[in-house]
Formats: sequence, C-alpha cells, structure tokens
Amino acid sequence: MTTPLISSERQANSVVVRVSGDWLLQNLASLTLAPLPALPAGAVALDGADLTALDTSGALRLLETMRAAGADPQQITPVNFSAAHAAVYELVQRNFADSMVATPPARGGMLAHIGRVSVETWQHVRGTVSFVGVLSYQMLQLVRHPGAFRRKEFVAQIEAIFVNAIPLAFIMMFLMGVVFAYLLGIQAEQYGASIFVVDGVALAMSREMSPVIVAILVAGRSGAAMTAQIGAMKVNDEIDAISVLGLSPYNVLVVPRILALLLALPLLVFIGDVAGILGGMLVAERQLSIGASAFIARLDQVLPIQTVLQGLVKAPVFALFIGVIACRMGLSVARDARSVGANTTSTVVQSIVAVIIINALFAIAFVELGF
Amino acid sequence: MDAQPVIELDHIVTRFGTQSVHDGVSLSVNRGEMVALIGGSGSGKSVLLKELVGLIKPTAGTARLFGEDVWAADGAQLNRLRQRFGMLFQDGALFSSLTVEQNVAVPLLEHTPLPKPECLRLARLKLGLAGLPQSTATKMPSELSGGMRKRVALARALALDPELLFLDEPTSGLDPISARAFDRLIRVLSDGLGLTVFLITHDLDTLLSIIDRVIVLADHQVLADGTVAMLQKINDPWLRDYFSARARIEEL
Repeated sequence: MTTPLISSERQANSVVVRVSGDWLLQNLASLTLAPLPALPAGAVALDGADLTALDTSGALRLLETMRAAGADPQQITPVNFSAAHAAVYELVQRNFADSMVATPPARGGMLAHIGRVSVETWQHVRGTVSFVGVLSYQMLQLVRHPGAFRRKEFVAQIEAIFVNAIPLAFIMMFLMGVVFAYLLGIQAEQYGASIFVVDGVALAMSREMSPVIVAILVAGRSGAAMTAQIGAMKVNDEIDAISVLGLSPYNVLVVPRILALLLALPLLVFIGDVAGILGGMLVAERQLSIGASAFIARLDQVLPIQTVLQGLVKAPVFALFIGVIACRMGLSVARDARSVGANTTSTVVQSIVAVIIINALFAIAFVELGF
Repeated sequence: MDAQPVIELDHIVTRFGTQSVHDGVSLSVNRGEMVALIGGSGSGKSVLLKELVGLIKPTAGTARLFGEDVWAADGAQLNRLRQRFGMLFQDGALFSSLTVEQNVAVPLLEHTPLPKPECLRLARLKLGLAGLPQSTATKMPSELSGGMRKRVALARALALDPELLFLDEPTSGLDPISARAFDRLIRVLSDGLGLTVFLITHDLDTLLSIIDRVIVLADHQVLADGTVAMLQKINDPWLRDYFSARARIEEL
C-alpha cells in the first residue's frame, strides 16, 4: 500500500496538482492530508502520473480536497492518467455535484411533532371507524349469504386461538389459583375461617381473574399473531391479490378471525375458571385440610351461576375488541418491515389497555345494575 | 494483478433431500471478465450463486473467491471476503425502513471507519453512478419504481468499491428500454472500474450486447461455456430453442 499524497505547484501560467499513491476506500479513513494552498477557481491541471490506484471513493475524496482549496471541480483537467484511472475519475467528476447536496434535516420543532401526531391520531381514529363500518357491513352480508362464510379458515383459527392455547391457559390459571388460595389461606387460617378460602378463590377466579388474565394472554398470543400475519401479507401484496381475485379481504381474513375469537375466548375463560378453582382445591387440601368433597359442597353454596356468567359474558366483548384491534392494525401496516413490528406491538398494548378499561366498566355496570 | 481466477467452482454437488440440483459443476471466471450464467428455470442458477457468496452450503465440491475457499473460511475471513464483492439481489432486497441514501450507506457505515456525512456523500455518488437523479436520495424504497429500486440496489452493491459484482437477474421486471440502459450502465461501470461481473440472466439482449462469455447450466451440469457465437453453433435442443426464441418472434 502506498500512502495517498496530494500537492500543488504553481507553474508559469497555470497550477498543477500532483497526486500519488493508492486512493482507495480502505485508505481514506486513516488519511489526513495537509491542507492544499489555495487553488484558483479557473483551470487546474491534475497530474496523475504517480497515481498507483484509484477507486470511486478515492476520486470523490480527491475532488472534495481540491474543492475545499477553492478549485472548481468541473474545471479540473486530469493529465497523465492511465486509461483506467481516467475512466473512474470521469465517472466521479460527472456525478460530483449530486453527491454534495446534503439531506435536508428531516425533523421539525415540537410544534411540528405535536401536529404530526395529532394528524396521525385523527387518521387512526377515522380508519378505525371506517374499519368497523366495513366489518359490520360484511357481517350483515354474511347473515344474508351464509354460504360465503370461510369455514376452513374459521376452523384453522379456532385451532390456533383455542385448541393450541388450552394447555397454556390451564397452567396459567391453575397457578394463579394456587397462589391466590395459598396467600388467602394464610390470612384466613388466623381467624379460623379457612373455609372462606373457597369463597375467595371461586369468586375471584370466575368473576375477575380468569376473564382478564386469559384475555390478556389471548391478546398477546393471538392478537399479535393476527397483526403480524395480516401485516406480512400486506407487505407481500397478498391482500391486494385477494381483492383482485374478486374476494373481500374482510370476508377471507377478518371475519373468520373475529368470529373464532368470539367463540374461543369464552371457552378459554371457562377452562381458566375450572383450572383456577382446581388450583385452589389443591392448596385447600394440602394447607388447610379442606377435603375435595368439603370444597365442592362449599363451592355449591357460594358460587351461583350468575357469578360465573358475569365472568363469561365479558369474554366475547374482550374478544371483539382484541379481534378488531388486531385485524385493523394488520391491515394498516405500511409496506415496510419495521411497520409490521410497530403495529404488532401496538396491537398488544391497545388490546391490553382495552381489556382493562372494559373490565372496569363492567365492574361498575354490574354493581349499578345490582347483579 | 495476478492471473488467478476470481471465481472458481470445482465439482460442486448440491442435493436437497433426494433432489439433485448440481452434479459436478465446475467453472472459473477471470479478473475483468463479464460472464453470464444461463439455464432453464429450476436449473439451480440462483442456488449456485448463493453457494458462491456463502449463503447455501454445497453438498460437495469447493467454491473459491479470490483464491480463498468460501466454505473453509471462518466468520471473520468470510466477512472480509464479502467486502470485496457486491451483490444485487433479484428484487433489490432494499431495507424497507431506510431511505435510499441510507440503504446505500449501510455497507460503508458498517465496514469503514469513515464519518457518517462522508458515507452519505459516497452513497449519493454511487446513486449518481447508478444513474439515479439526486431527488431520489431521501425517498423510501417503497416510493420508487421497480427499475429505480434495481438501480439503488446496484448502487448499494457498488458501495464498497468491490472488485467483483454478482447480479441475480439484473434486468428482470424492467421494460426493454430500461433494461438496455441498465445493461449499458453495468458495462460502463465494469469497464471504468475494472469490475469482474458474474450475472444470472434470462435476457437474450443482455447476452448479445454486453457479455464476454456465457456459461450454460443444464441437467445438473455445465452444458456449454463460451461466447454467444460459439454457443449458437452447439447442437443442443435446449440451446437451439433458447437462441431461436427471438428469431421466431421476429418472424411473426
């Protein structure tokens, strides 16, 4: 490797700049050149007789250095260049002006940011409203023409959302039941009120814990999957292909998913109820010496069917929100990979927030209605 | 420079399960040559290219780039090797979340210690070399037409001033005018920069206009290797059909 060098000398009526060495990309980073003496803006000759290697990056640096000294890049004439070096030099000189145009700074001030976020939020709300509108229309069409229902897709979604989630939902809620009964048992035992653990576990699991925790599980598991899948299909033009084939992406993708969620979530919540109470039963027997038969007898007295239904009735509402959010975020993916990730994250966050808010509204409503 | 071939494939055998793709493929490409690899769909052209750049491992045989065995190289060696060639993927494979100039600057930012403004200046120079107007630099890849995306991909392949360029169907999906312009561009760049170019193509016009040598892949092996004029004399049904496809269109 020969170190790249540049120097200039004033001749009778012109200025000659001499370059030598390997002007290559890998040498540029360590290259520190003494600044050239000022060059005239007129014609300058560039003598490349001692140039041993030149690539486009090197040629760019060469031109930049000379321009920094005051030369006009278009008025520099290469002399004594080998044919290959001259070809490279000319390619770069022709495109030199373009490479100097710096990117305008993209970011505005805070006001611009607030404005952009406001517009985006407004567009998002409008998009969601229109999504719900189209979806309602499609559902209505389906009621009129039930034959158009995509049964196969529906069954596949039931498998993905419900069947494959059973073990996870069961284990999660079983452990919740164990922990809840254990902590409650420690307190209740001190008052000699161990049997009330049954009341606590049964009510808590069936009314609050199972619906909310299973809904959050499904939002994280199936909601994210839906957004990612529909989003990747959008990036891949598959959604457009569905439309062009004369099918409705709503009918093919969205409706089966939302209906599958509506059916699957209550079933999963019920499985969660059972698992939570079984977890409580295990602790009651081991820690509090309440046998299974005593537990079930007490359960029969303290857990009315209404309480179970109060929990189950929330599930389809959660499911509707998770499904609408997930499919809407999937269809609004832009055509790039980052957007798929951002929308998937957004689905999970929005779904969980929605589940918790709706649950709070239900709690107030049930109390006000006197259930 | 040395007379050693830039690309050397020696008895490459590739099998996916029971399906045989290559059965003893050998070829070599010398410095400064522009060589095209042709063959019917499914003849394993893209697989061969991926074996050369270290993405798919051949079942047997050696692939050498610049005299180094690609599949014997460790990670660091392979990465050094990869900085010496550029690759243009069939659909561009641009990073969709980066602007055009950032896409081209990625290899520079990753592999050179140059400051970011200089990387971006170099990136814009490469975009100019690839024949793109300055206004495209700050656009996103999704805002560009197919032909422009190919040019951006070419600019990215040229970012590190490689000695060797791999092109996977550079003109597919382009209209004939853009395709010819792209051919000329590649030829000008390769002549000007002294590049070795190895490309896969289905485009007869590319073969006839800019290619030095053609290698034909058929029946898991190299069927022929030579200039277009030489290939046209070979009496093979597939080759005859290939070269007469256009003659027949012109007759119509």
